[in-house]
Amino acid sequence: MTVTVTTATSLDASSSDASDSATDALMFPSGLVGCADWKRFVLISAEGTPLQLAYMQSLDDPNIALVVTNPSQLDPHYAAPLSLEDRADLGLSDGTQPLVYCTLTVGGDGWLTANLLGPLVVNPLTGTGKQLVLVDSGYSTQFPVTQLVNAQIA
Amino acid sequence: MLVLSRKPDQSLLLGGEITVTVLSIDGDRVKLGVTAPRHITVLREEIFKQVQSANAGAASASARPPLAAIASALRSR
Repeated sequence: MTVTVTTATSLDASSSDASDSATDALMFPSGLVGCADWKRFVLISAEGTPLQLAYMQSLDDPNIALVVTNPSQLDPHYAAPLSLEDRADLGLSDGTQPLVYCTLTVGGDGWLTANLLGPLVVNPLTGTGKQLVLVDSGYSTQFPVTQLVNAQIA
Repeated sequence: MLVLSRKPDQSLLLGGEITVTVLSIDGDRVKLGVTAPRHITVLREEIFKQVQSANAGAASASARPPLAAIASALRSR
């Protein structure tokens, strides 16, 4: 499969021209929740798949990669509110909206689930990111999306 | 593990900038108040572990079928 490295913005934007941007790398200074060493990633999308899906490949450990998507396509009302502290951590200037991703997992039962409780928010200009925990939001780490049939997994 | 006894309205100081106060005790529930600098994330342990476990699960190779398979499943749902 041919893979292309995409920009941090291209999961949301319709543009697929990734070559003119320096923000293809993501940096989570505090790592992910409970995985503090997972700091540096790059977004990789596969040719022929929608830009709403990508691998977030760790640059620190080649064995670590997460499938991420735009959660608003799973739940149109999804919101990941940022505190002032979150905005400061991301270096977001006033009026700049973060990119929001959620991870997708395929369980042993073939169910595809999304972690809507712990979204990843990223500064679109710098690639600086942070994982939020939306306490009291009612969102789950295993929001059921759909079931993959065996043929789709293989 | 350090073990300390506290009564309601008594506190613990952690590192000089985090205060944990016992607000009330009602049966098997203890209500705690935490005062910490904004950069300190305060989470219930089980929530932290849920997200940690979700991250570890999402990163494992078996949880990562080809993107095309996921895209196909998303389209057909």
